[in-house]
Amino acid sequence: MEKLLNVSSSPHLRDSKLTTGHVMYDVIIALMPVTIFGIYHFGLHAFLVLLVSVATAVVTEYLFDLATHHPNTVKDGSAVLTGLLLGLCCSPTVPLYIPFLGSLFAIALVKCAFGGLGQNFMNPALAGRCFLLLSFSSAMTSYSVDGTSSATPLAVLEEGGTVDVLDMFLGFTDGTICISIAAMLIGGAYLLITKGITWHIPVAYVGSFLICMIAFGGQGFDVMYLVAHLCGGGIVFGALFMATDPVTSPVTGMGQLIYGAVIGVLTAVFRVFGSSAESVSYAIILGNLVTPLIDRWVVPKPYGIGDGTKKEVSDQPKKFPKAAITLACITLIAGLALGLVNFMTADIIEAQNAAAKAASYVEVIPTADEVNYDDDLTALVEEAAAASDYYADSTFGKVTLNEAVVGTDASGNVVGYAISVSTADGYGDSITLSVGFDTEGTILGLSFTELEETAGLGMRADEDSFKSQFVGVQVDSFTLNKSGGSTADDEIDSISGASTTSGAVVNAVNAAIDFFANYIQ
Amino acid sequence: MAKSKIRGGVHPKGCKELSSGAATVPYQAKGELVFPLSQHIGKPAVPIVKKGDTVLAGQTIAKADGFISAPIISSGSGKVKIIEPRLTSAGVMAQCIVIDNDGQYTLDPSVGQKCDYTKLSSQEILAKVQAAGIVGLGGAGFPTHAKLAPKNPEEIEYVIANGAECEPYITCDDRLMQEHPDWVVMGLKVVLQLFPNAKGVIAIEDNKPAAIAAMQKAVQRDERLSVLELETRYPQGGERGLVHAVTGQWLGGGGALPATLGCIVDNVTTLSAVYQAVCEGMPLMEKGFTVSGDAVANPGNFMIKLGTSLQEVLDAAGGLKAEARKALLGGPMMGTAISSYDVPIVKANNALLCMTRDEVEEADKLMTACIRCGRCGTACPMGLIPQMMAVAAKNKDYARYDQLHGTDCIACGSCTYICPAKRPLTQLFKQTKPVVLGLKRAGQL
Repeated sequence: MEKLLNVSSSPHLRDSKLTTGHVMYDVIIALMPVTIFGIYHFGLHAFLVLLVSVATAVVTEYLFDLATHHPNTVKDGSAVLTGLLLGLCCSPTVPLYIPFLGSLFAIALVKCAFGGLGQNFMNPALAGRCFLLLSFSSAMTSYSVDGTSSATPLAVLEEGGTVDVLDMFLGFTDGTICISIAAMLIGGAYLLITKGITWHIPVAYVGSFLICMIAFGGQGFDVMYLVAHLCGGGIVFGALFMATDPVTSPVTGMGQLIYGAVIGVLTAVFRVFGSSAESVSYAIILGNLVTPLIDRWVVPKPYGIGDGTKKEVSDQPKKFPKAAITLACITLIAGLALGLVNFMTADIIEAQNAAAKAASYVEVIPTADEVNYDDDLTALVEEAAAASDYYADSTFGKVTLNEAVVGTDASGNVVGYAISVSTADGYGDSITLSVGFDTEGTILGLSFTELEETAGLGMRADEDSFKSQFVGVQVDSFTLNKSGGSTADDEIDSISGASTTSGAVVNAVNAAIDFFANYIQ
Repeated sequence: MAKSKIRGGVHPKGCKELSSGAATVPYQAKGELVFPLSQHIGKPAVPIVKKGDTVLAGQTIAKADGFISAPIISSGSGKVKIIEPRLTSAGVMAQCIVIDNDGQYTLDPSVGQKCDYTKLSSQEILAKVQAAGIVGLGGAGFPTHAKLAPKNPEEIEYVIANGAECEPYITCDDRLMQEHPDWVVMGLKVVLQLFPNAKGVIAIEDNKPAAIAAMQKAVQRDERLSVLELETRYPQGGERGLVHAVTGQWLGGGGALPATLGCIVDNVTTLSAVYQAVCEGMPLMEKGFTVSGDAVANPGNFMIKLGTSLQEVLDAAGGLKAEARKALLGGPMMGTAISSYDVPIVKANNALLCMTRDEVEEADKLMTACIRCGRCGTACPMGLIPQMMAVAAKNKDYARYDQLHGTDCIACGSCTYICPAKRPLTQLFKQTKPVVLGLKRAGQL
């Protein structure tokens, strides 16, 4: 015998039509409909965004392998896929350095640094997207076609507007490059048929999301509202292409159902209660992080192994209801827990708000010994409300005049007034503040009773350096100076990096001044 | 009735057309006959002949050592050349009786006495089966008389004749069922004699329509017997899958025997051997054997004498028409790769496959990290999660491996076949399972 026979352990056959590359390229094929539609709908720049994203991903992985003396893994297609996924969830108008940085981060830090293919603990494309969202939030979330920027359908929905669901489904609207739900469904069907994905994650994800939206969306079982939520904000893209990434999702069917349910609940929570526009990416990333735990805990019983009795019959049809029941239970428990917490804390929050308000009134009229409600004053507030001078679309933005109180000294003489105003123009939930005036209209103090802005930026409105600019001044109205270095009394230096918050506060104070001047005086 | 199928499983290319059309040709070896003493599960047989003795075909040359053991019968006549360690199909040197074949195949006068099995008691049948040296001929090699003697014979509801032959390439069972359906049926009837309350079921994959038709014809007049068509899917012929197909119930873990669900599973070739031993008085001397693969000149099926060297059977099939990269004893999914053709055929062997390509070698070049796609779990006929087992095995986390029921792996190779990342999963499990079982036996797990 010239050549020795090869010896190896059985089995001696391999499925030659199935390699890691095939798995990756199948997903890429499935992404083609949505990619092509995106390029058709948004034009050349969208194509360039995808090109930069994919090219960066591939080159980064190639260079990383080269630098770390790893075998070249570019051929397996996973880098192309990561680049494509990341590019698809960018806005079509982003400057090209954004997909470049995103892909670089996704491949170099999230994937390769953790050991490359199969070792990353979160979806690289999603991690890249989250990185971009945090770093370049305005570029990533401003969508425009032909230079006219407009709100995304979900933003419109948030405002209580109506959207054209059919346009959303087909993709004739604004958003990221992956815009056509119809095209995504075609790709998803392809993946399901070729067994690239199983039904577990998409069904559990969308199912639990819908249940939560029905329970807490505030609209009940409103079909159009639900469909609009499904068609917007990347739920379908996330469910079909992001959450199903095998590396970062559980291996077992039951594990996948739990994982899908967790992401669905998180997405709904972020949508309904969250302050950020992004819900799907963060929900899936968090889901990725619990994947190892799920895989640790969920170990399916092999066929016939259990209590060992002869009667043990486990047939396929019985599997589904059990899974569905578990799924429903998880969703229900999560939902109930949320509702319960909300219910239990509602009263407490109200009481705390009232106490905070009372304390702030005393604080803003330092000369007063006592602060009281006054019927005349309350009547004035109601009169102003009736005239809707200080509501939603007034010259002061989205402000609301809450109430006014009068401060008296020890002998009962009126020494000043405190006015509580809210504004919805901040970044977070509404900002509520109390403004104290002396009887002449000079501002005595400023105090926030509700402020949930960005830490380190908007939250700095509560610092004395900002608040003191208002105190001891009597003007008709303040103006915001974004560049800083104000000298005039009526100019307020903006908090660096938080002009939105600063502007909202200035407007709210102006509303209080206006109310004082036109009603109380 | 819908065709029964296992859960999971894979669809490797059958390649049975290479040899399925070739009728079984009797082949009498001309060269020496080599009989390893351990051809079965259990204790090796003990030689009762010595160097220089003259032996005849059908003569017992090594006796069983205990209940779980089997005697070795000489398949030819001649002189005992030597008893020495020789290379066997397992790839190791093992003690063998070597017979200098005189080519006459002179029968021992004690064999060939016909007998009416209906007049025999259970003990007499079992004794004949044991004396004939019959073991599981499908590949397992478990002594058949031991398998046929469960604690409560009256609780056995089904005797399943395993004609699934789900391994690619192999066709000798298919040919047997086509050419001698009566042998299988008679063997099944003999076994049913032991189990008064049992029905006989012959399970065959639907890629063998001729065998199904032949067996259906053969069981027509007997209401205790029936043919069960199975969907073609590997590993359909697995014992546990067959029991589930017939009873609708799953065997418990930890190597539970089919008898716990009232089943006895025997290969059709084994049953045919039972018939030969009990009714015709012929001990186990020959069996059907497939020689196939794309490197073989004339793939075919042979009725070979046990102890024949692979080289001789290969020559009988016209030798190699192309250089073989890999040679397998048994099917490609569970068979053993051999390094030399100078190896004797033993009872449990059923095929020699010579391939011009080694798919394992090619796949190894495509190996990537595990992408956790879970296809291995979908393919596993036992409902295990090979992906998790592989992680545990690699980390030597034996407790986790046991928790994942990794010791119930039957090494069918489905996970490894389907794995896109081309991970050598089965190999890892075959290494880890004995370690975990050992630790459990020692009470350390």
